[in-house]
Amino acid sequence: MNLSLIDWLIMLVYFIFVLGIGFALKRYMRTSNDFFLAGRSIPAWVCGLAFISANLGAQEVIGMAASGAKYGIITSHFYWIGAIPAMLFVGIFMMPFYYGSKARSVPEYLRLRFDEKTRAVNAFSFACMTVLSSGISMYAMALLIETLGLLHGIVPDAWIFHVSVFLSAIIVLGYIFLGGLTSAIYNEVLQFFLIVAGFAPLVWIGLRNVGGWQGIKHTLPANMTHSWKGMAHASTNTLGVEWFGLVMGLGFVLSFGYWCTDFLVIQRAMAADSETSARKVPLIAALPKMIFPFLVILPGLIAVSVTSHMAGTGSAKEKNSVILSGAQSAESKDLHLPATTPQPLDDAHPHGIIPVKIDPVNGQPVLNADGTPVYNYDLAIPVMLLHFFPTGILGLGLTALLASFMSGMAGNVTAFNTVWTYDIYQAYINKRATDAHYLWMGRMATIGGVALSIAAAYLVTNFNNIMDALQLVFSIVNAPLFATFLLGMFWKRTTGHAAFTGLLSGTAAALLHHGLTIPANATPGIHGGWIHIIHTYPSDMAQNFWTAIFAFSVNFLVTIAISLVTAPRPEHELVGLVYSLTPKPVETHLSWYQKPATLAITVLAILIVLNLVFA
Amino acid sequence: MGLDIRIPLGLIFLLIGGLMSVYGLITRNAADIYEKSMGINLNLAWGLIMFVFGLIMFIVGRRQKWQDDPVNPRPWQQGNRPNMH
Repeated sequence: MNLSLIDWLIMLVYFIFVLGIGFALKRYMRTSNDFFLAGRSIPAWVCGLAFISANLGAQEVIGMAASGAKYGIITSHFYWIGAIPAMLFVGIFMMPFYYGSKARSVPEYLRLRFDEKTRAVNAFSFACMTVLSSGISMYAMALLIETLGLLHGIVPDAWIFHVSVFLSAIIVLGYIFLGGLTSAIYNEVLQFFLIVAGFAPLVWIGLRNVGGWQGIKHTLPANMTHSWKGMAHASTNTLGVEWFGLVMGLGFVLSFGYWCTDFLVIQRAMAADSETSARKVPLIAALPKMIFPFLVILPGLIAVSVTSHMAGTGSAKEKNSVILSGAQSAESKDLHLPATTPQPLDDAHPHGIIPVKIDPVNGQPVLNADGTPVYNYDLAIPVMLLHFFPTGILGLGLTALLASFMSGMAGNVTAFNTVWTYDIYQAYINKRATDAHYLWMGRMATIGGVALSIAAAYLVTNFNNIMDALQLVFSIVNAPLFATFLLGMFWKRTTGHAAFTGLLSGTAAALLHHGLTIPANATPGIHGGWIHIIHTYPSDMAQNFWTAIFAFSVNFLVTIAISLVTAPRPEHELVGLVYSLTPKPVETHLSWYQKPATLAITVLAILIVLNLVFA
Repeated sequence: MGLDIRIPLGLIFLLIGGLMSVYGLITRNAADIYEKSMGINLNLAWGLIMFVFGLIMFIVGRRQKWQDDPVNPRPWQQGNRPNMH
């Protein structure tokens, strides 16, 4: 790839600002509270944009476009069903307890509400997952830089991967070490605007090229341009999931489990300057989140519509049966789903300008068993950038891409350093240190977190199947979580022993379900069926959604059952932690348009309209 | 925090938008560069939009500094503030 001076200059400006913000904020980092919670002083809109940006990591941008190219607009379910309802719920109902309880982290809320052991389970599993996620982000970024040949000619080819890993690590480390959570949040806001600025013209020019949405509809098969078509049955839509599994598994269990309990995003809301602001954070974030399918999924759809149209063949019918494998799963970042083994869409699935997957070892195209080429859908956005952007704005597009990688990484690192310092170090290692010591420990944890992420990135590099394995672990740990929080916040009878046992049984149920079922066309092993096969799912997305549904239900029932036979905590201890014992947030000083509920209803209305338009 | 995010946000858009506009202006007659973007000078057009956005953010950020907000003093201003300089 040939970049000119102007492209490099634009990227350089970005990196100077990223680190500059860290330096500018350094003088405000005086207590651990400043470092880990941004002094609880950030306005709602800033936290809201950071909330969405922290989640918008590498896998999301790359994966959603890839999934858009493979499955079509149906991918938007991961946003419209798989995120928005949960974001509204956490803002309206759960945030008063997170923010109002004065807990400094999500695991700390669990200790206040339940007990030490429940916190410990959550803190340790969360700390491990953040480090692994940020390692995966780092790996994906380095792999992309290597594939695009971004540093080609500047550093020796063999070193590009390593240089990319260490460069990104040092930059993220730099600005978090200096400015803590505030620095991460500020950079996430910057990244948010750059991502929009970089991708919006891409979508605009791409749509012009393919003749707008109507042109795409004309070119692509109908099942790629309708989000609800064929959802009645798993075999009639591209995801291989029926509507019940989608709505319950993705829309309820996995999505609520992520958005309502994951400290990575909740931390951004906890940094808000008041409880009302904190409640608005996820609601404000929901607005751009609803629009993001147009920025990240649409480029994928455009990429598969492009060539056939330009070449004037008038038809996108290709003879290749595209069976994809190994492509990094799309959906996974958000919800920690295992990588899917995608379905063959149909024989006429177009691939547009998507390049053929190249084997990194021998440089030959990867072929299926039947000799047809495998397309590298992960490159949908990068090839779109190269295809449509002239030099100059190309620098901006690449900056946007790098920004998305960095924001995902930084989000994980700030969540890690907080959970490590408050929920592991302060809780179990050194209980009575000074605040200055914890501030110091936070900085050290930042270094440690980045170092562990690098280790994780190399772990992913060296073991082929580890990506699948990690995403499996994520989904198994994440799946039962929401039941614990739901019962904890809304049923005062729930006890600590019950929460702890329920959480473990939920995880066990997820494992058991995974061991007993298998997606179609998979061999027993990492994809399931390692105990005994009693059920076969049409796709591994369906398997994953049902694993989550089982894990949630088991946790829910076990927690209720054990709560009924163990002694509950006295009610006065639970004020501020449980819905029925906490005074409702006072909103009388707010005008109707300032109330979180108004915002939530607006979001819901737009959501319904979007679903109807793209049904 | 004492730094309004809109100031750095405005500045980065002013700079990147400015760079792109100037480059777009210089290359406005270079048809081969803009063949990719269907003959549209994306650098000039989008650069100017970014520049204007940056300007608005910067001006709003300068005018409404959080430090100067009399209604809602930020937490770090309350109590005894240690001398940082």
